[in-house]
Amino acid sequence: MKNLSLKSLSKTYFDPYAGSHYTALHDITLDVPAGEFVSVVGPSGCGKSTILNMVAGFIPHSGGEILVGGQPVKGPGPDRGVVFQSFALFPWKTVLENVGFGPKMRGVPKAERDEIAREYLAMAGLSHAADRYPNELSGGMQQRVGVVRALANKPDVLLMDEPFASVDAQTRMTLQEELTRIWEERRPTVLFITHDVPEAVFLANRVVVLSKGHVLADVPVPLARPRVWDKLVEDEEFKDLSNKVLALVRSA
Amino acid sequence: MNALLPLWAFWARATKQFPVLQTLAPFVPVVLLWQAVASWGPFPPAFFPSPMDVVRNFQMLMYKGILPEYLGDSVARLAAGAAVGMAIGIPLGLLIGLSKRAYAALWPIVLFFQAIGDIAWLPILIIWFGFGLTTMAFVIVYTVVFPVIFNTVLGVRSVKTDLYRAAQSLGAPPWRILFEVVIPGALPNIITGLRNGLGYGWRALIAAEMIVGTSGIGFMMFDARRAGSVTEIVLGMIVLGILWYIVDAWVLAPIERATGRRWGLVTQ
Amino acid sequence: MGRSSRILETMKFIAPLAFLVVVWAIVVPVFQVNPQIFPSVPAVFRAGLDSILNGTLIVHVGASMGRVILGTVLAVLVAVPLGILMGISKGVSDFLTPLLRFFSVLAGIAWIPLATLWFGYGFGAIIFVIFNGVFFIVVYNTLLGVSTIPLSLRNAAASLGAGPWALFTEVLLPGALPNIVTGIRTGLGFAWRGLIAAEMIATNVGLGYMLFVARDFYQTEVIVFGMIVIGVLWLLIDRLVLAPLERATVERWGLVR
Repeated sequence: MKNLSLKSLSKTYFDPYAGSHYTALHDITLDVPAGEFVSVVGPSGCGKSTILNMVAGFIPHSGGEILVGGQPVKGPGPDRGVVFQSFALFPWKTVLENVGFGPKMRGVPKAERDEIAREYLAMAGLSHAADRYPNELSGGMQQRVGVVRALANKPDVLLMDEPFASVDAQTRMTLQEELTRIWEERRPTVLFITHDVPEAVFLANRVVVLSKGHVLADVPVPLARPRVWDKLVEDEEFKDLSNKVLALVRSA
Repeated sequence: MNALLPLWAFWARATKQFPVLQTLAPFVPVVLLWQAVASWGPFPPAFFPSPMDVVRNFQMLMYKGILPEYLGDSVARLAAGAAVGMAIGIPLGLLIGLSKRAYAALWPIVLFFQAIGDIAWLPILIIWFGFGLTTMAFVIVYTVVFPVIFNTVLGVRSVKTDLYRAAQSLGAPPWRILFEVVIPGALPNIITGLRNGLGYGWRALIAAEMIVGTSGIGFMMFDARRAGSVTEIVLGMIVLGILWYIVDAWVLAPIERATGRRWGLVTQ
Repeated sequence: MGRSSRILETMKFIAPLAFLVVVWAIVVPVFQVNPQIFPSVPAVFRAGLDSILNGTLIVHVGASMGRVILGTVLAVLVAVPLGILMGISKGVSDFLTPLLRFFSVLAGIAWIPLATLWFGYGFGAIIFVIFNGVFFIVVYNTLLGVSTIPLSLRNAAASLGAGPWALFTEVLLPGALPNIVTGIRTGLGFAWRGLIAAEMIATNVGLGYMLFVARDFYQTEVIVFGMIVIGVLWLLIDRLVLAPLERATVERWGLVR
């Protein structure tokens, strides 16, 4: 695992209709130490997804630096695994082939990458779905595959873009608990984007609140692990933290 | 890079104000390339005319009144064919879509006759009706009818059961359900069918005019071929393309959008 | 679907057509239709049998099918990679769309006069017409298919380490495949008509030619037989090759367009 570091990151777009540039993000400085889970929250339009897209290398940044383990980011790469809000599973590949896609790109032979994929699927309790196509699975199952696919490629940093926003509330809580469990086992470096404040607090070691293109606050979350919803909904510390972050988001 | 930004801004604003620019722009390099090949290429002008030759030919045929007359003939045939094709296709499509028995009895026949294809009818039509208008009318109607039937059936099937039930429970008798629910519900598909049908019909008309015609754009092109005038053939092709583009993009597509999008029915 | 139910389906499909043949067999002798206007069933049967026995049918069908297959395969081989390359960039595909639509309108039949002038009557001109009919529609549909692939899928592949070639084979090609198949189906429909028309005008062998020559001698039984052959051939191509291909991709992957 490596650390992720954003230094004075900025993003400006050119608007051809107005004929001028406008600034979506300015001077974002953020450090995610190796093995830490950082959530970024903020109202819609605050630029949180733009940050993730730049870190993933999907869009270029206009100024500043993005460093993964000290190396500057140039375009998308397997060192940063991405979990998408829309799952982004390949509809023409089975679950097994989806999970084995990363290893396949590294040139791992078929038998070996199938083995890797099966191992990771077993970890998420998905062994029975290996030969199904994504559209035959529920939303929750699809996103489990999405997470497993990113992990199976052994990334240095895991980037998650509102991954649970399009599954139902019940499933979302289960997925959140599964994610904390996996994180506790493997300690990946995670940058997690969401607009859901309790989710951000529940998952993270630190919550970064974003507002109108800059960092508003950086709130540490010292809650004990393992974290499960049954305990935390009653937990005063969790409630206080959530309310604090929520107030910050509202003020943004 | 930065020097290009004002240019981009200019283009974005220009196309926003005049969307037709976006359609025309890609043709500029094509015409330039065409001119370049005609000027410096290895082909003799009789074999490969230049854009200016075609423009001159266009002016000449317009001046003589041949082009407007032929164009009028082709468009009138297409319009008449479309009207008759819809008059036959929509009721038939409704029948097949609504009745299981009609479906069982007629669907294979429709599929088979559609498979024969308009143009294969030409020889026997020429025997029946001679070289003339009836033959061409038959071919166009034949071509338009099948896509209209297929899409009407599709449209009828796409009307949600709940809508029938809602109309029934609101006290609508069957014939009112047909006019108030089924036909409006199927309309976006019917328009799509007409659009496809005219697409095929247009091509069939050209073929028919070439083979049996005494007037029309297809005839003009084939006549030019006999006389060896490549310029006139190319002119005919351009006129065909532009005309269909206008009909499709400015008449049919907006109607399709107006029904489909307005009601939030996705018909793709 | 079980074997017996498939036979039942086929029977159900054939029954109305068989009924039509029965009506035809009764109407023609009862009303004493002039065979130069419309042939009787036995006459068509005999014409069919003759053309099978003396080998002319095979020659004509072979010529037509050979042209369609060659023209289509050539067109698809060129059109698909080109369409995908054009579709990668939204700017490029937006720019080229009007051009492609213009040429797909002209595709096929409208090229017959020019094709026959450039290549002379015969094989070259017909292949050109078919190529044309399929090419532009397949390029257009491929481009459309690539543009319907969600950006997140391309991003996902890139972030899992896919290079340009893997992106092409693993994402863009399969993602555009349903549209490509639809494009081939439509294009082949146009090309098939273009073929028949071109054969009537520009050759001395093929189904279109067979029909058109029969017309000169008022051999309606040969014409009707030829029409039936054309209809059956197209049904077979469409139902046994194109439709299953379309279903296999679209339904299995749950890609709804």
